[in-house]
Amino acid sequence: MRDRLAIITASVAGVFMTVQYFLTAPAANTAYRTILSWMQVVFAFALVVGVIGVLRLNIERLGKRRSGWFYSAALVAGVAAMTILGFVGGTDRGTPFQWVFDHWQAPMQSTVFSLLAFYVASAAYRGFRARSGESTVLVIAALIVLLGRVPVGEWLSPVLPRTADWILNVPALAAKRAILIGVGLGMIATSLKVIAGLERTYLGGR
Amino acid sequence: MGTPRRWIFALVGLAAVAALVLKPGLPASVTQDTRSVYDLIESLDSGAVVMISFDHEASSLPEVGPLGAAIVDHCFRRGIGIIGLALFSEGTAAGYELLGRRASVFGRSYGSGWIYLGFRPQYTSAILGMGENIGDVFNLDYEGHAVTATALGSRVHSYNDIALVVSVADGSMPTYWVEYAQARYQVKIVAALTSVMVTSYLPYYESKQLAGIVAGLRGAAEYEQLLGHPAAGCRGMDAQSAIHALIAILIIAGNVQGWRIRRSRGHGEA
Amino acid sequence: MTFIETTTTALLTLAIYSFLAGDNPFYKFAEHLLVGLTIGYTLVVTLKSVIWPQAILPVTQGQFQAIGPLLLGGLILLRPFRRWAGWSRISLALVVGGGAGVAIPAMLKARVLDQMAATVTGATTWGGWIILIGVLATLTYFVFTRAHRGAWGTSARLGRYFMMVFFGATFAYTVMSRVALLIGRLEFLMGDWLGLLRT
Repeated sequence: MRDRLAIITASVAGVFMTVQYFLTAPAANTAYRTILSWMQVVFAFALVVGVIGVLRLNIERLGKRRSGWFYSAALVAGVAAMTILGFVGGTDRGTPFQWVFDHWQAPMQSTVFSLLAFYVASAAYRGFRARSGESTVLVIAALIVLLGRVPVGEWLSPVLPRTADWILNVPALAAKRAILIGVGLGMIATSLKVIAGLERTYLGGR
Repeated sequence: MGTPRRWIFALVGLAAVAALVLKPGLPASVTQDTRSVYDLIESLDSGAVVMISFDHEASSLPEVGPLGAAIVDHCFRRGIGIIGLALFSEGTAAGYELLGRRASVFGRSYGSGWIYLGFRPQYTSAILGMGENIGDVFNLDYEGHAVTATALGSRVHSYNDIALVVSVADGSMPTYWVEYAQARYQVKIVAALTSVMVTSYLPYYESKQLAGIVAGLRGAAEYEQLLGHPAAGCRGMDAQSAIHALIAILIIAGNVQGWRIRRSRGHGEA
Repeated sequence: MTFIETTTTALLTLAIYSFLAGDNPFYKFAEHLLVGLTIGYTLVVTLKSVIWPQAILPVTQGQFQAIGPLLLGGLILLRPFRRWAGWSRISLALVVGGGAGVAIPAMLKARVLDQMAATVTGATTWGGWIILIGVLATLTYFVFTRAHRGAWGTSARLGRYFMMVFFGATFAYTVMSRVALLIGRLEFLMGDWLGLLRT
């Protein structure tokens, strides 16, 4: 019964939100704005549920002293610290909450992603091989854009940046545009299936 | 025997450190794409309002931070009001800090020179909702004031009152700005991106659905040159050149190595 | 920032970089701390910036039409409890269905029709014609319900070449992105922390 109610909700909301694109009546506009604001609140609660899920897992591991419990303690301590700092000290500029974000959270996040610079260099030597016509085209395009988009490429030859521009604005653009159109058509089909009640994965595997 | 991975890691680190210390200072020309964004903001009236959405994670800050700062500086320098917001949770604190820091440099006060709306997680309803009424989506700003009680917030009700939206992003968010804000409400959108996203957005720029694209540390360096104020973007270009050159050499060396192995196998079989 | 402040940031940065030498307790500690800080941050920002002003405050101010979204949001909180998790699907259905509804006209216009129009109207220069051919060729590659043989197969193969150019360019830009992050971190370590860089 609840699943049927959910499917009907999705269908009614979906049909209305599609049709309202073409409607100009004030009542339709009011309903549209109401649904938009309801979607926002519901999604925010869903974020909170996700947070609670991760916390539960790690608190359980910590409580039962399972393998890796020390790291779970670090995780839980991080959650507690930010939550207390945020609600007690506020989130304005100059607060401890903002400080931890600026000096611990953001730098650590970017450091994790900067590790990829090393691995991409390693992959470039070990795996980026021109073994066929297609891979040769890939390697040549990569080399031209790699050098053409930085000052050293301009210094080596003015042809490099001009060729890189052409590669980006013509053949690469064409391929990406086709992918965009294809993905767009696919997403429209999926949206229609959700509205028709044929696509139900959002119900959690039912 | 392949070259040990850690030698390559060491080479990358060495190339970056050497370039940062030695600073060869190779010049970087300003591309037409960056110049177009600069000219677009330059053409706005000084009383105009620009909306800047910080749609990125904290991890991208070294790349989009300098770019966002350059665009914010340009707006503040021209007396353009800025309404900041975030559609990614980590962009919230990053954008708030950036705007506050740059506002104090230019003497722009909160409420009249800039306001920060805060975070909305459901981007579809946020982007569409602001097209109807910004107050529906944000009744209070990030600091807890009623949005309509601020000088800037009281004169901006929807995209009709916004000259330009700049999405500072490291992912798909500019796509949604185009699909929902530009397509329905015809507001101009500029994407200030991480480099990795450039190839994904060139089709939108070529079709004029995006009014401008500027990307990465290179984009920041170019913008800083146009502003006449070199900063983090310009500083990073030498190291960017050095590591790109190293990786290009590694690709060529790897292919030469691979070709030699295939040739020796071919001779061995013969 | 004081030296102590920059040192704490530097130590956490170096703990993450220690992963280059292999997985180790310093990296794991820093990684888990980072996840914890991120979760706590998201919780604070969501509650303070979204749920309080949009869901709870309006109800306390007598705007009873706000009870609807508050109740639907509350249903979502039942999700971790197996017995009542079914009720949360109704709230999720509103978001998913509403999102699907607005997506149809938006994507049809922005991703399909406007892109097709730009492709066709742009075919007035050599570059424009190459783009038109490339788009058609790449689209034929993605039709898997028809065998890639004959003229169709040739077109699909051409599409693959266009995609290889795209992937090569994307790889180069991916390198650019990651390198920019590395430069930012190294500038902090060498400049802000150790003071080795001239400004």
